[in-house]
Amino acid sequence: MSEKKLLEQNASPIQKRHMGLKATRALSNTAIYALLVAISVIWLIPFACILLQSFRVESTWQVGYVIPQQWGFDNYVNLFKTDFPRWYTNTFTAALVTAVLQTIIVLCMSYTLSRFRFKLRKPLMRFMLILGMFPGMLTMIILYRVLKDLGLTQANAVPGLILVYIASSGMGYYVSKGFFDTIPKSLDEAARVDGATRFQVLKKIILPLSKPIVIYTILTAFMGPWGDYVFAQYISFGTSSGMNVAVGLYRWLNKDQIAASYTMFCAGGVLVAIPVTVLFMCLQKYYVEGVTGGAVKG
Amino acid sequence: MASVKLTDVKKIYDNNVIAVHDFNLEIADKEFVVFVGPSGCGKSTTLRMIAGLEDISDGTVEIDGVVVNDLQPKDRDIAMVFQNYALYPHMTVYDNIAFSLRLKKMPEDEVYEKVTNAAEILGITEYLTRKPRALSGGQRQRVAIGRAMVRNSKVFLMDEPLSNLDAKLRNQMRAEIILLRQKLNTTFVYVTHDQTEAMTLGDRIVIMRDGIIEQVGTPTEVFEKPSNLFVAEFIGAPKMNLINTKLEQVDDKYYVTPFGARIKVGGEKGKELKAAGIAPQDVVLGVRPEHIVLAEAGSESAIPCTLEVNEMMGSELHLHVYTEDGTRLIVRVPTINLTIDQRNELVYGKKLYITFEGKVMHFFGKETGTNLIYG
Amino acid sequence: MKKYSDLEYLKLSKGQKLLYKITSFFCAIPQKIAGLFVALWNLILKGYNIVKNEAVDIWTTFVQGDWKTKVSFLVMGFGNIARGQILRGLLFLLFEVVFIGYMILAGGYWLSMLPSLGKVGPTEEYDFVLDAYYTVYNDNSFKILLYGVLTIFFIIGFVYTWRVNVRQNKLAEKILKSGKKLKSGKDDLRSMVDDKFHATLLSLPLTGILIFTVMPIVFMILVAFTNYDGAHDGYYSNLFTWVGWDNFNTMLNWNVAKGGGSVQSYAATFGEVLSWTLMWAFFATFTNYFLGMFVAMAINKKGIKLKKLWRTVLVLTIAIPQFISLLYVSKMFAKNGIVNGFLMSMGWISEALPFWEDPTWARITVILINIWIGIPHLMLITTGILMNIPADLYESARIDGANPWQQYTKITLPYMLFVTGPYLLTSFTGNMNNFNVIYLLTGGAPTNPAASSAAGTVGYTDLLITWLFKITQGAESQYYLASVVGILVFVVVALISLVVYNVLPSIKNEEDFQ
Repeated sequence: MSEKKLLEQNASPIQKRHMGLKATRALSNTAIYALLVAISVIWLIPFACILLQSFRVESTWQVGYVIPQQWGFDNYVNLFKTDFPRWYTNTFTAALVTAVLQTIIVLCMSYTLSRFRFKLRKPLMRFMLILGMFPGMLTMIILYRVLKDLGLTQANAVPGLILVYIASSGMGYYVSKGFFDTIPKSLDEAARVDGATRFQVLKKIILPLSKPIVIYTILTAFMGPWGDYVFAQYISFGTSSGMNVAVGLYRWLNKDQIAASYTMFCAGGVLVAIPVTVLFMCLQKYYVEGVTGGAVKG
Repeated sequence: MASVKLTDVKKIYDNNVIAVHDFNLEIADKEFVVFVGPSGCGKSTTLRMIAGLEDISDGTVEIDGVVVNDLQPKDRDIAMVFQNYALYPHMTVYDNIAFSLRLKKMPEDEVYEKVTNAAEILGITEYLTRKPRALSGGQRQRVAIGRAMVRNSKVFLMDEPLSNLDAKLRNQMRAEIILLRQKLNTTFVYVTHDQTEAMTLGDRIVIMRDGIIEQVGTPTEVFEKPSNLFVAEFIGAPKMNLINTKLEQVDDKYYVTPFGARIKVGGEKGKELKAAGIAPQDVVLGVRPEHIVLAEAGSESAIPCTLEVNEMMGSELHLHVYTEDGTRLIVRVPTINLTIDQRNELVYGKKLYITFEGKVMHFFGKETGTNLIYG
Repeated sequence: MKKYSDLEYLKLSKGQKLLYKITSFFCAIPQKIAGLFVALWNLILKGYNIVKNEAVDIWTTFVQGDWKTKVSFLVMGFGNIARGQILRGLLFLLFEVVFIGYMILAGGYWLSMLPSLGKVGPTEEYDFVLDAYYTVYNDNSFKILLYGVLTIFFIIGFVYTWRVNVRQNKLAEKILKSGKKLKSGKDDLRSMVDDKFHATLLSLPLTGILIFTVMPIVFMILVAFTNYDGAHDGYYSNLFTWVGWDNFNTMLNWNVAKGGGSVQSYAATFGEVLSWTLMWAFFATFTNYFLGMFVAMAINKKGIKLKKLWRTVLVLTIAIPQFISLLYVSKMFAKNGIVNGFLMSMGWISEALPFWEDPTWARITVILINIWIGIPHLMLITTGILMNIPADLYESARIDGANPWQQYTKITLPYMLFVTGPYLLTSFTGNMNNFNVIYLLTGGAPTNPAASSAAGTVGYTDLLITWLFKITQGAESQYYLASVVGILVFVVVALISLVVYNVLPSIKNEEDFQ
């Protein structure tokens, strides 16, 4: 008789249960692996489809199959015969400028609310909370008309759009304030005793310690305009040269355009998704930190 | 190097909680003053008001004769060590210590000299290129002190600098702070909740409770002449025993009658009572554990009691006993005075007799709680 | 009802406890409402006291002040200049000059027009030279309302500045009397990066919020009381004017017909859209929350390998702009889309499933797709928090004999709900206003014929926010109705937030899990 069998025979009830435990664990782990694989497939399929269809040459409309019968770059080439490059530049400019300015504004706001105790601090925060309960879209009606008077709509939509994006960005201070709150206040105090002004405290102590949240803020500030539809739709108001990619590509899926542009939409989508996905993958760590911290702080 | 003077200093928070009531204190040049008290007594708040980290609601703070109420911390010429060290995590030890000097735009070679000099004194030279994260608690503490040291400021403020260290390290750092003080020879204000630290470090101790100063005095004064029950209990470990009893006067002699025993208040204490003209009355009698001795049965001054817990501390025993009416007392007995047999007998339930002499007694008014002689 | 002490309460059975909690909640409502009124009354009293104290202070400043102070009541900044604070004084003076200049040149006109919102609309004039009619545009209601509001803001700002000016004089007198020196202009500039650094930092963001959020919101609230729409744009077509509460009556009164060929009133449509909005927000929030937590726990589970890979796969989908994934997925589920194509080619169905054509199918599909969108976010958020739960809680629970399910319901879930309570609230209100998902997926379709009219369509998957958007885009562009819907959205969100905040444990007992 082998040693193992002997052991099994003499196993006490507790030992037997232990072996059962191992078996259940293996079983439940297998189930979880199956689930995770299924999830990965479901989550990636649409993106795989979009990528495959962007290479389809034989037809430009929607079909019931995924794998192209004829492969080629026709759709990508065709993109450059449309206003797509213009939309792309518009989006990129707006997103880049917004990322820089919005980050500055958000950091100013959140640092102040985290570090200074002034009389109007609490009322101000409450006021912004209440303001945030109004649907932001409501303000578009008036902003559109004011911007139109200023000549910042339609063909000149980009500067107007940037203005709209950054104008109220101070209200999105929650996540970074939550981060600043975790930096001990005694660091500020030590620096102030050491002879630093408030500005020097920000520059020499807080900012070097806030790299994750600065990157998170830049990233989200960039991704917002990159995928924005509503505001861009409003401000470009049907003028193709003022559109961003979201508005432009959305139009290609209209009833009268979809037959000719469906695969081009896929190609455009791929081109739009690539830079931001690459950026995101590189900075994923910081994004995760920001999102987790922000949710806990509320 | 400078004097610090606080006049009627008050701190009232926005929610109308008063953290510090009319605080008056003059700290002489080169004096080492310790603020001590339980948490929430306003000691840290007072220190932070001196530092300029907390607004002063009322009154004035003067450093070297100049009112500093409206000055920013950076303009007060103070140095401060924080409880959690507050080291800048993104800077090396060298940069941490050099931070204030660089803000003053001091030339780099001078900075180098000062920083290495301070590091030498504190024994952290080999860590200068490390980040604070890579240091132990004691080393961080030294860096924090070094950062304050290089500034050569008028006043040195320390906010519970040792409370994050373990007991052994704390004793060691305490001794080093005493040495440091001799080297720096400047004015120190030190905040702690630990009475041992206060007693060993301070030239003078300020004992606070609920934002009010209970007593200011040298360690000897506050230990031997506590002005009220709070100070009496707060200073000294284990705590002073407090006994409700009567002070009686027969002819010129005073007696106390704790737990049915009758003990004469002799010597100096008796004279002091008489000089102060204290009338017989109900008092709270305070006796420190180390002043209680074991006694023989039958004497008029012996108090019968029962042993509950015997804590062996090495050089001494802490005996927790209760008297016939259930009052709990602590007695400190030096081990050296007992034979092994005697020690072995001291177990739960053992009947004992204890007593104490008149000269070690403290008398407090039953209603007021203030010291009848010194209060 | 009977009140239990804490110890008595512990003795109750589970059902009794629940009953007790529910009854005491409802019994407390009158008290809470009364408390609200008391708080309101106190607020009024406080406001009255502040105004009174200010008035008294201004008066005593004037009476007791020296001549420099007295002149400053008329010429702002005079006291500052006379006492050597040139920079401050000049700024005050400049502000006063600008204000008076503005009020004379423009502000007065806008204010005077505000009650009427314009008197003369566009008129047809005859041109004798060309022998033709041409249009002359006169008053501009839109500008009158906009600049009227701005002027009122400006006046409030001026009154406040004037008050600061008065107070500064009083302070300066006091400081000089005590023998101290006043701050110089240089000191003021220095304090901008030091003790007044917060004011410097906040000035830019707050200006932006004031101009681009506060002002538009005030404007839009006012629009709800006008008849501003495509046909009354205030300049090119017709002037618009104040109509009082008419628009609210239209929106909320069941008996007011909608017109334009619609069979039901606005109130009925509003009710339908609101109930779907709440239903959507509920499902969108909680399906994502629990499934996201489940996925996070699955990946976190001890013994599961390649944790990083699984997470990265999900996170990848966050990076891709929503308009691409949503638009694409919406087409995938179309009648001739990939999903139907795949199912039919497999022979599982014979005719296309009505994902977007049937109201119930459409509603379920958007919720399912929203899960697909939302799980990666929730997975990220919950992963972090799950890892923060102290492991010894589970160890002690296991020693106490809890099975995995009990561990989940007794430890994980309470902890998660506690920590993420505020997040759940914001996510609920965020979903109520989740324009992107609905608009890009369905555009509100399928159309609800009873609720739609010539003025605009309303669909079964429309949320209040997409409906609002559609109203402004419709043929008649009824901005006033959009404003009413916007205000009502605010009211609903505010009410929900208020109630939830009051019962949320993380607000009430902040220290429970710390």
